[in-house]
Amino acid sequence: MLAKASRSSGKGYAIALTAIIALLALGPFYLSDAWLGVLGKAYIAALFALSFNLLSGQAGMLSFGHSAYLGVGAFAAIHVMKAVQAGLFWLPTPFIPLSGALAGVLAGGIAGIFACQRSSGVYFAMVTLAISELIHTIAPNIQELFGGETGISSYRAAFLAFNFGRESHVYTLILIWTVICAIVMWLFARTLFGRLAMALRENEGRLPALGFNVYWTKVVPFAISGMFAGIAGALLSIATESANYSLFSVDASTAVVLHTFIGGSSLFLGPAIGAIIMTVFGYAASDATRSWLLYQGLIFIALMLSAPRGIALLALDTIDDIADRGARALLRALLIVVAVLLIAMGIVMAFEIVTQILTTEYQLAHTQTGRWNSISVYRVKWDPLSPFTWLVAIGSVVVGVLALRRYGQRTGPAP
Amino acid sequence: MSAVLEARNLVKNFGESCIIRGLSLSVHEGEKHAVIGPNGAGKSTLFNLLTGYLHPTSGEVFLREKKISGLPPHLVNRAGISRSFQITAIFPAMSVFENVRIAVMAKHGSRFGLFRLATRARKINEDAWHLVERVRLTKVAQKPAGDLTYSEQRALEIGMALGPGGDVLLLDEPTAGMSRDEAAYTVELIREVTSGKTLIVIEHDMSVVFSLADRISVLVYGEIVATDAPQAIRANQRVQEAYLGEDHGAA
Repeated sequence: MLAKASRSSGKGYAIALTAIIALLALGPFYLSDAWLGVLGKAYIAALFALSFNLLSGQAGMLSFGHSAYLGVGAFAAIHVMKAVQAGLFWLPTPFIPLSGALAGVLAGGIAGIFACQRSSGVYFAMVTLAISELIHTIAPNIQELFGGETGISSYRAAFLAFNFGRESHVYTLILIWTVICAIVMWLFARTLFGRLAMALRENEGRLPALGFNVYWTKVVPFAISGMFAGIAGALLSIATESANYSLFSVDASTAVVLHTFIGGSSLFLGPAIGAIIMTVFGYAASDATRSWLLYQGLIFIALMLSAPRGIALLALDTIDDIADRGARALLRALLIVVAVLLIAMGIVMAFEIVTQILTTEYQLAHTQTGRWNSISVYRVKWDPLSPFTWLVAIGSVVVGVLALRRYGQRTGPAP
Repeated sequence: MSAVLEARNLVKNFGESCIIRGLSLSVHEGEKHAVIGPNGAGKSTLFNLLTGYLHPTSGEVFLREKKISGLPPHLVNRAGISRSFQITAIFPAMSVFENVRIAVMAKHGSRFGLFRLATRARKINEDAWHLVERVRLTKVAQKPAGDLTYSEQRALEIGMALGPGGDVLLLDEPTAGMSRDEAAYTVELIREVTSGKTLIVIEHDMSVVFSLADRISVLVYGEIVATDAPQAIRANQRVQEAYLGEDHGAA
């Protein structure tokens, strides 16, 4: 529970973080356009997750309908882009996200005024869910505002030397906005009000006796969280040059909860790390297999069971452990990684073979030829009837589990 | 003597059951006033009524002739009444210093310090450090409040109650669950930090009550049966029947 205030080398992490951001900023020089696109989406997801965690992790208000503020920001931006396109007024593309911020802070503030009325805990979550579902239901019926089923599209106007026709321009714009917003949110947690929001999470009932109006103390973080979600939505509109009412669906609301818990809500960057990993995983895995959603679910379950505080804190603990105890800890960490990979590969292999057998194409080929065709997994052809195939799949799971039981005792410290 | 805090004919019903039945209480400026009474007499309910956490079914509460019943708790607090809680109410994951800083923030008008980094708020930080010192928690100031010992947490609770700076202080069982030594230490601390303030304290420990209080009110089944100096309360026939008779022997 307790946030690690003073890690052994806070400065070291700051330097490492700066280096990573610099490396990402240089992405256009060594990454393909496809990867730039994927990473841009990942940064947007990271910004969205940080905005969500500002409300749920820091102020302790779990929002199940956060897609509402993402969507509002996205539509605000697309309308502003259209207005700029029509020549109604002038706003350079890099500043379009400001419209998302404005729409997000208004939407978050208004929703907060209702959601914080007298609800807390589960009731608060239900009210936020209801608000986003309300918008999701109404949106397709308002043609002018949300463009019905098809949505609204526009295009990015050029600004100075940046024509934003190239993926790298969009990528850089998204990265800059994400980093600036992350820094502002990090600073917010360190303002007097940010500390007060944390006190709200810790013990809401105590605050009135210290002279604070709890109601407004809750509405303000809601509005701020909505503002950053709105910026994320605006960036999404810029990236896709379109906005559709499906943005308001529970999918985005669910994804942000998953990202936050996978990354870990107790560390500031945890949700962002979770969002980046899962977005990249989603793109890579959805190319490779149809069952990627299943694997995403399995990863979530496995993580919640073994490292309920999230990936980010697990990684930091491991790094600290290695720094403290040297080569032995490093070896142990590597062994655990290999064991987890073995288990994952075994499970994936078994699932892939079974799901491919169950496809209609495979069944058709089987009835026509009477043969069980071999199936390609990991670029290797496997005969589904051969005991060797299943020995490899089950064997790697068993070996992995045995290795975990032997070396993995100290993973996943109790919360 | 003038009454700083006055309750007139307070009644509080929870559904069918009547917890406070026409209670009247008058607390003098600067006195140390103890409220005692058997379990379930309505002592904590009385505190909640005085501080706005509950609203009376009928009757009124006045702070220096100004009506405060009906106000929400944060406005009662800003009017000058601070309170502590029977069940320790702190911010466990935050440091002791931060707990106290939150408590002094409202006094400095920083209820919405949106654009001020906490470390830069010099006056507030100084004020908070001073208060941490007064409740003798300087040594553990950087520890998470949840890691303190029980009696340290109770001291923090008192420190937080002092934070908003009101001159009427309501402490709900500040020594409950403490050993004799801890209780004596806490009584001394309370006497020290409340000098010049008006104190109303709920207490079960009779040695604490008699060593701390200028006057004692005895609350039995939602009514004040007597308010008097400690010696007079000790001698009061009705009090002995209603309360001391069954409880004091054991204490």
